[in-house]
Amino acid sequence: MSIAVIDAREWQRTFDLKTGASVATNDPTVGMVKEILARHPFPGDVEIAANNWVTDTTLDLIEKYDPQLACVTYSMPYFIFRFNEITAEEKATVIASVFREIHRLVQSSGFTPVIIGSGSLVPLKGYIDLSRLDGLAVASNWSTSYAGIHNPSTRDLEYIDNLPQVEKTVTKEDLLKLFAGSKEEGFRLPDYFVMAKEGYTYKAVGTTLRKPVRIPGHNYFIPVATDLGEVDSITQIRGLVEKNLPQKKIAVIIIEGVGLEDFPLPYKRCVNSVGWYFYETGELQFFAINMGKHNFLSYPQGYRYHEDDDEKQPYPFSGYFRDIPNDTIGAQMGLKRIAVGSRSMLTHATTGADICIECFARNLSNQGLMAVIIK
Amino acid sequence: MQCNYCEWRCELNKEKYGVCQMYYAENGIIKERFPNRWSTCNISKIESLPFYHAWPGSRSMVIGTAGCNFSCRYCSNSFIAREDPQKQQAGMFEFTPEELVNMARKQGCHNIVFNVNEPTVSLPSLIEVSKYAQKMGIPMGCLTNAYMTEDSVEIIASIFSFINVSLKGMSPKFYRNYIGIKSGDPILRNIRRLATTNHIEVTVPVIQTVNDNELDEMADFLAAIDRDIPFHVFRLLPEYQMKQYEYPSITVINDTLKKVREKLNYVYFHNFVGSDWVNTICPHCGTEVITRLSLGCGGDRLLEFSCLNNKCQECGQEIRIHGEKINWRSLEVS
Repeated sequence: MSIAVIDAREWQRTFDLKTGASVATNDPTVGMVKEILARHPFPGDVEIAANNWVTDTTLDLIEKYDPQLACVTYSMPYFIFRFNEITAEEKATVIASVFREIHRLVQSSGFTPVIIGSGSLVPLKGYIDLSRLDGLAVASNWSTSYAGIHNPSTRDLEYIDNLPQVEKTVTKEDLLKLFAGSKEEGFRLPDYFVMAKEGYTYKAVGTTLRKPVRIPGHNYFIPVATDLGEVDSITQIRGLVEKNLPQKKIAVIIIEGVGLEDFPLPYKRCVNSVGWYFYETGELQFFAINMGKHNFLSYPQGYRYHEDDDEKQPYPFSGYFRDIPNDTIGAQMGLKRIAVGSRSMLTHATTGADICIECFARNLSNQGLMAVIIK
Repeated sequence: MQCNYCEWRCELNKEKYGVCQMYYAENGIIKERFPNRWSTCNISKIESLPFYHAWPGSRSMVIGTAGCNFSCRYCSNSFIAREDPQKQQAGMFEFTPEELVNMARKQGCHNIVFNVNEPTVSLPSLIEVSKYAQKMGIPMGCLTNAYMTEDSVEIIASIFSFINVSLKGMSPKFYRNYIGIKSGDPILRNIRRLATTNHIEVTVPVIQTVNDNELDEMADFLAAIDRDIPFHVFRLLPEYQMKQYEYPSITVINDTLKKVREKLNYVYFHNFVGSDWVNTICPHCGTEVITRLSLGCGGDRLLEFSCLNNKCQECGQEIRIHGEKINWRSLEVS
């Protein structure tokens, strides 16, 4: 049974990750993880100390568990760039902080890093109003460039066609073709899929109350820095890491909200797209990195995610994720793997590592921490 | 002209919009500045709002506007409630009452719940929404601070069949220092009034060492009205102007709830992930009749409903439930 350990500050509980049922356990790994959680309270999504938290927690877990692979995510830049008005100087301070913490992690652990900037953000230019369609438009909280259209009328399609802020509209069939999926695999896809021009996002069902000041740009390329070898695409990172894993301890480090123009290390421009579709920072990009393949059809943007969400939905601590992937980076190699991230849910739900530690924050509300021990 | 919606009773004119910034006066009439403008119309589980005893398992369409008549130092929605409503208009949805109710239908929602900010600041729009919702057979609920006039409370009672009142404290000192109003007396008056005709649940956000010493008094007040009123004790997260405060101790607050649990039949302690105190226990025989999971802020969910016909299956005791258990997918539109 996989275990979720919740730490709401000075108060911890353990649950069956799949059912959400409370469980009692004397498992020594759970005990070890509980102690780590207690030592490292999460400072908050937009606090610069969140970067230190990632490094401190990762180093602590490395010391106790001795993994061969560490998947590490620094998400603070993304959250603060997205929601706060900040100056260029403040932005530089945030980025310097992250790279200082990465340097400390690498120096202290001796792990060989693969450092990935998930893509930069651009100022919000405006909204595309899809709220008044005859059909239903769905844009998830964290996807800004894409929306799904369900059961549109002819009038809806004409309206969308005439919106100057829309870059592209494609059909369900176009998406299936792009991601080489079968009709069965595409059952969650919306009837139509809309891509916004850079800088624009949606007013539609599912969009967040907290309005952004910046949103992910159209990052068709992202920076990847590593001495391990060459990669051209984010789906090649897994193969490169696995090729080197038996000999080296490796840290795959994702920095959210940092793209080509702000990346301070020498890097390779890496393809972050499939045809016209580019990845925004988030679960689908993380899947592509960790699985080494595109997993768009499992959780396509603009799908009616709420329909699955009844009492029977498994993995209640994992948001809209319906399972934990078992074919991820290093999974088939019998090596010890950890994941630590200042990104709720995605840290465990996209890596499937043996032990995952992440903040438990929702909409920037800092609830504490969660660890997942996957068995 | 004096506003009569909330107990501030602000003096309004064409340029004076009152404490909430949502009304103005023109030609002897109080008008809304932003009628039919909504900050949200998202789907939520009713348990996460929270309503634990109304339409369990149902899919709610959560709506809200902007502005508030309180100045809570710990406001968790300050980015909407405490910001200038004028500045938020670009991101607002614009729906007529009919469009809003139809949106609920399109999303397969069983009810509409006003959340996010205070409904008293948008009453004329809500009156119109309720007329159409009633016609379409969609019940409406709300979360409110209940700091409204006696006239407004009658309107609220007629619009919303289920209501969660935030009782933030008891003492005038607390209300002055943390909420920015002189007294909570109108709130107590309105809770008494609403409990006579509507399903109510009451929520108290607890700030350790500030208002946790008032929990007993709150329980006495509610028990005198109806021991079956569900009472939600929220562990307040340090936010907004209280961001630097310590997180309240779950153990300490839970200890102070021992007496409260003797006075009221349904006491819950949550707003933190993994709470042990979110299940409904039969007040007669102690059987667990509804099982929930707390995911902290806005994330509670139903796990199991063992309360057929709203009765404990062990002893037959009636459990206070407004409406009935609803299947999450029952109104899904294909």
